[in-house]
Amino acid sequence: MPGYAMVIDQRRCVGCMACIVACKTQNGVPPECFRTRVVEEVDGVFPDLRMELRPELCNHCDSPTCVQNCPTGASYKRDDGIVLVNRMRCVGCKACIAACPYGARYIDPDHGYADKCTFCFERLEEGEEPACVSTCTGRARIFGDLEDPESEVSRLLRGYASYVLLAGAGTKPRVHYIRKFGKPE
Amino acid sequence: METSITGVNAIAYPYLHIWDWRIATYLFLSGVTAGILVLSAVINFRRSGFTHSEAACCYMGPLMAPFILALGMLFILLDLGRPFNSFWFYLSFQPASPMSWGAWGVGIIIPVSFIYGLAAVPEDKRGILRLWRLIALSARLRPHLRKLAGTNFGLGIFLGIYTGVLLSSFIARPLWNSPVLPVLFMASALSTGAAVIIIVSRDRAIKLFFTKVDIWLIFAEILILALFFYGHYVSTEASRASIMPFFDYRSEFFPYWMAIFLLAILLPVALVLELVDIREDAHKDMSFLTVLRMDLSASMVLLGGFIVRLAVIYAGQLSRLT
Repeated sequence: MPGYAMVIDQRRCVGCMACIVACKTQNGVPPECFRTRVVEEVDGVFPDLRMELRPELCNHCDSPTCVQNCPTGASYKRDDGIVLVNRMRCVGCKACIAACPYGARYIDPDHGYADKCTFCFERLEEGEEPACVSTCTGRARIFGDLEDPESEVSRLLRGYASYVLLAGAGTKPRVHYIRKFGKPE
Repeated sequence: METSITGVNAIAYPYLHIWDWRIATYLFLSGVTAGILVLSAVINFRRSGFTHSEAACCYMGPLMAPFILALGMLFILLDLGRPFNSFWFYLSFQPASPMSWGAWGVGIIIPVSFIYGLAAVPEDKRGILRLWRLIALSARLRPHLRKLAGTNFGLGIFLGIYTGVLLSSFIARPLWNSPVLPVLFMASALSTGAAVIIIVSRDRAIKLFFTKVDIWLIFAEILILALFFYGHYVSTEASRASIMPFFDYRSEFFPYWMAIFLLAILLPVALVLELVDIREDAHKDMSFLTVLRMDLSASMVLLGGFIVRLAVIYAGQLSRLT
């Protein structure tokens, strides 16, 4: 059984936002909703500025608070690590949205169920990569199987110092980041 | 640092806004129900202490309890994104989800408290049930009142505490993520439950008894509220930031510091009014003005309890992990 994960190499992100467009097109995300976003953080005092670009999405956590808090079992985690929502069972109580520290979920405005990134599992079944990964112009998003020690994600995580968002929350995210800059002074 | 984000969901940025006054109203009404069940169960469970006619006055609360809770459930249904799917609450049980516990709990409490309410109606008051089937059922249930009171005591504790546990389980919301919150909600539930019994009871002895009880409950609520804020203040940066809306005097946070201001006024004023009652009228001869003062004090407690729920629900959504 694979253990899917994503590595985001911030050194390679150019902020083109193509991932956001590809995600919305692939998954038919409603106009005012997003499953992925790009955070631009500008730090310092002019002219000594630096900018960090950080694409964010559902972290498909290994200890998912959204799944734990779902009262109907609509949110669930597959054996391959992907966290999904069974729309039929969702009552739209929004407990998962309150539970997610990453703001990765939204309520579908037309149907009322909670929705989020699925790692494009339908594409994975066809042997393709998630839409945001295959469209990434700078190859900043790398997707693969953490169970395979020879996969690109495994090699990257072995070779580079990486971090996850809000590690202190204890959610054990499956989206890892390689930082563009060192630690801020 | 300047941050701009492309692709934000309005529901989560810049602040979460998923739950509103409807959820706060449910929390308040379920708390009131819990308080009524626990406190009336204490009266109805006691073999001695109250004379028959005094205990008889403790039936209006239990009779009202399931309807208050059902009204609260209506507000929950109004908030659900897919209310017609709510049967799924009862087709699965998720032990890690406090909301699942709550859904099952409320589903059990409404019928059980209804039965308890019927059992609590004394013989000479059964006329208010109108329907002969209910009157007959009430007569059949009456011998089981102690058992039902004991059951409803436990269910009431569960109902009063689970809403706080639900909110405190969200690690992503520092204001809610506090072990003091369930205790605060329980104290508030008991004091608002006592307030409702004070208001609906006609018997002055029962009014005075619950006024005395409420004094201690208001003391407890004020103390727990202070500890709730203190706990956040001495905790992590995110926890400390989460209580800042209550102590920030900028216009955008006006409702939050106003909530604290009202709580700081309402609860102590309610306390003072009740203390005055006890001091002046420990005996049975209470003037109309004293009764009015007790009702006014109880109303303030109810308003304070509602403000606590509103403030916690709204401010909790402003808080986030950093």
